[in-house]
Amino acid sequence: MAVAIDRRPPKAKKTSSKITKSGQPTKAGPRLKRHFARQWQLWVMLAPAIGFTAVFAYGPMYGIQLAFREFDFSKGITGGDWVGLKYFIKFFESPQFWTLMSNTLTISLSTLVFGFVAPIGLAILINQVLSRRRKRFTQTATYLPHFISIVVIVGMLQVFLSPSTGLITRFLENFGITGINFLGDTNTFVPVYVISEVWQHCGWNSIIYLAALASVDTQLYEAAKIDGANRFQVIRHIDFPALVPTMVILLILNMGGVLNAGFEKIFLMQNTLNLPVSEVISTYVYKIGILGSQFSYSTAIGLFNTAINFTFLVITNQIAKRVSNTSLW
Amino acid sequence: MTQQTRSGRMRKSAGVVAFAMATSLVLTACGGGSDAGPGDGKTVTILVIKHPLTKKMTDMTWVAELEKNADVTIKWEEVSADWDQKKNPMLAAGDVPDLIIGANAITDSDLATFGSLFEDLSDDLDALPNVKEMFDQVDGAQLLATSLDGKINSIPSYKRFWPQTVTHQYINQQWLDTLGLATPTTWDELFDVLVAFKEGDPNGNGQADEIAMDFAPLGTTGFGYFQPTALLGGTGMTISGGGGSGIILEDGTVENLFADERYKELVSFLNRCWEAGLISEEAFTQDYSTYQSVARGTGDEARVGFSWGWSGSDRFGPGVYEQYSAMASLPAEAGQSEDVSWSYDFENLTRNHVTMSAKAKNKDAVLRTINEFYSTDTSIQVLFGDIPTNVEKVSDTDFNVLPPADANLDPSTWKWTSSLADNGPIFIREDLNVELPSDLAEAVQDAVPLQPAFDGLDADKFVWPGLFIKMSSEDLSTIALNNTAIFGLAMPKFAQWITAGGVEEEWDSYVSQLDTLGVTANNEIHQKYYDEYIASK
Repeated sequence: MAVAIDRRPPKAKKTSSKITKSGQPTKAGPRLKRHFARQWQLWVMLAPAIGFTAVFAYGPMYGIQLAFREFDFSKGITGGDWVGLKYFIKFFESPQFWTLMSNTLTISLSTLVFGFVAPIGLAILINQVLSRRRKRFTQTATYLPHFISIVVIVGMLQVFLSPSTGLITRFLENFGITGINFLGDTNTFVPVYVISEVWQHCGWNSIIYLAALASVDTQLYEAAKIDGANRFQVIRHIDFPALVPTMVILLILNMGGVLNAGFEKIFLMQNTLNLPVSEVISTYVYKIGILGSQFSYSTAIGLFNTAINFTFLVITNQIAKRVSNTSLW
Repeated sequence: MTQQTRSGRMRKSAGVVAFAMATSLVLTACGGGSDAGPGDGKTVTILVIKHPLTKKMTDMTWVAELEKNADVTIKWEEVSADWDQKKNPMLAAGDVPDLIIGANAITDSDLATFGSLFEDLSDDLDALPNVKEMFDQVDGAQLLATSLDGKINSIPSYKRFWPQTVTHQYINQQWLDTLGLATPTTWDELFDVLVAFKEGDPNGNGQADEIAMDFAPLGTTGFGYFQPTALLGGTGMTISGGGGSGIILEDGTVENLFADERYKELVSFLNRCWEAGLISEEAFTQDYSTYQSVARGTGDEARVGFSWGWSGSDRFGPGVYEQYSAMASLPAEAGQSEDVSWSYDFENLTRNHVTMSAKAKNKDAVLRTINEFYSTDTSIQVLFGDIPTNVEKVSDTDFNVLPPADANLDPSTWKWTSSLADNGPIFIREDLNVELPSDLAEAVQDAVPLQPAFDGLDADKFVWPGLFIKMSSEDLSTIALNNTAIFGLAMPKFAQWITAGGVEEEWDSYVSQLDTLGVTANNEIHQKYYDEYIASK
């Protein structure tokens, strides 16, 4: 029963919207009515989610106008004088602008690339190489770090990478790599950030790929083996195509956060030595907005950040639609 | 516990509220509830910001005494967490209790915005003889209480005994003795001593594990306590709050230390120390808890030779702190013409401890309550706890603060458990003799060698009076914006010059770059307020 209902709404929705679009509003009324009469149970189930999004995601957006106003405590968020793009221009003209942009892009793009490729590799490896029992163990072992809090992770980095007593520093000394302060060097900040990020989230992010691989028909593997395919050919021609739709969707979603280099971790890893490469938009917004009480200015920077992210999301989505026929909308 | 809290707060903030060093207890937890006390006079509602460790207000015996003396019944509302979140809706709704008590609970910017909610006490001083006495006795107290437009909306606290500076300087005396060295008296001598510390194995364990010099991790937003800027005192520069955003005062002219030649001198010296391996190689990357724990050594084996802290036992831990002795400010060169100075932190006088609602129903009763808080006996008990369990009253002017009744607690925790402590409205008079608790006594003791640095100091002309300056929100935002840019350049440069050198070559372009980022503009704004302040003094 439930399944039967489940299948209908997309169809019904499509037809109704099409008709509204094609300019027959007189017919939309009764159709909409019929739609709700038939499917009200689904709408009731959806209601909390719609309500939540409306209240907590769309509602607070009225605060965006702060970016275009002079914030005044006594007049509230909507009461300040309208200053238009003043704060955006201030940001573009600020001496920090290009440093911030390049730092943010370097960190987030490298995290995006490595953080995107690594889980796919891991999922394929786990799927191909291990027996079922070991698979389960490895999977759990690799995703556990995901649950360690960022503060602890940064604490661990500080202990492991300490220039005098660090475990990893000492280990690298055996290979003749000495004299590098991994926590302070401007050249090592990004690698340390990205590697620890990949290490922490790789296992967790591979779960979704493993699920996609689990749905691959085992007959395909058997057929491939009978045809004499080796492991790499199996991966190339069976596993990989099975993963592509998931990969594309995740890539689009990740692109939506391209300028969102994680605030907490970068902020905690920041120190005076690595500041030239570790100052990113989010930490700058924190310093300007919260420490410096420049609410309008920080809102403008935040909005700029979101606008860029949104553009990337749309572009990636369009490209994906063209290239692989998979897209969010 | 005290330790963790301290490190947590210190981690990233340069200009942390000073006093927390001594007591350092701002945690989050839930507290609250309200209780009516005994007393038969009019009811006064008081919202009090207290530490989560602090026991209920009605469990403190001084509260009953206060109610009796002021002839009021107090209804307490106790807040020990998330005050900032509760405050704004409360103020916006205009619904404030008769009194709000807490250290800077209502800030200057709250008063600038919501000033009309609070009673202007400037015309009520006759009903507040104790407060009046404080304004008369304590230099700057009235000024601190008065807003730009001449109103007194909140009253500060004054605690004598607190040392004038938070950062004290320590050297390992035992190491000096072991190596047969004298206490250094200039930067150059310090350098030689540190080299000896590093190479002479003064802790005698056969390993070269000695850290000659260590300092608190630098924030990315200016300087703070226990950082090497403390050495600037040796060049005759008087910094405030460990350096903060760099504003200093030089014979009545506002300058910025980031662009000062003496700062360059310090950076070169530290670079020399770094190249010689005298500074902990983790100094720029460790966090505050590591910084603290390293100095505690292992057992009775010390690891750090020269460092800064609030008190010896706090900085170096029970195992090794007796090896250290407090030091005077070191002149940069032998026979220099400048007198040495030190970081001047304004620790005695703290702002905004009690505010009164403009709509208080029983105005006289509320004024009586305020006045009673500032009486000798109540102030002592608010700060240290009840007489006779926490404080022994010997005579009207002599008090002994007793050691913790619970042997597991340190004096600071004991104080915060027993009473409002530094959150309360307090006036500890100049003529009182108080035997201080051991932690405070130690900090006072450790400040003694630094005292000569303050003796000849003309505070009006050489100490930036940040505490007393109230700026318009427009100027504040200009300064904040400039500062973000200045720190973005100057803080990494400081670290880079020390670890990699290059200060000599890059200094000139750095200074002109600082200028484009607003150093001069900031100085001018500060100068304007300073001139007004001095004129009104």
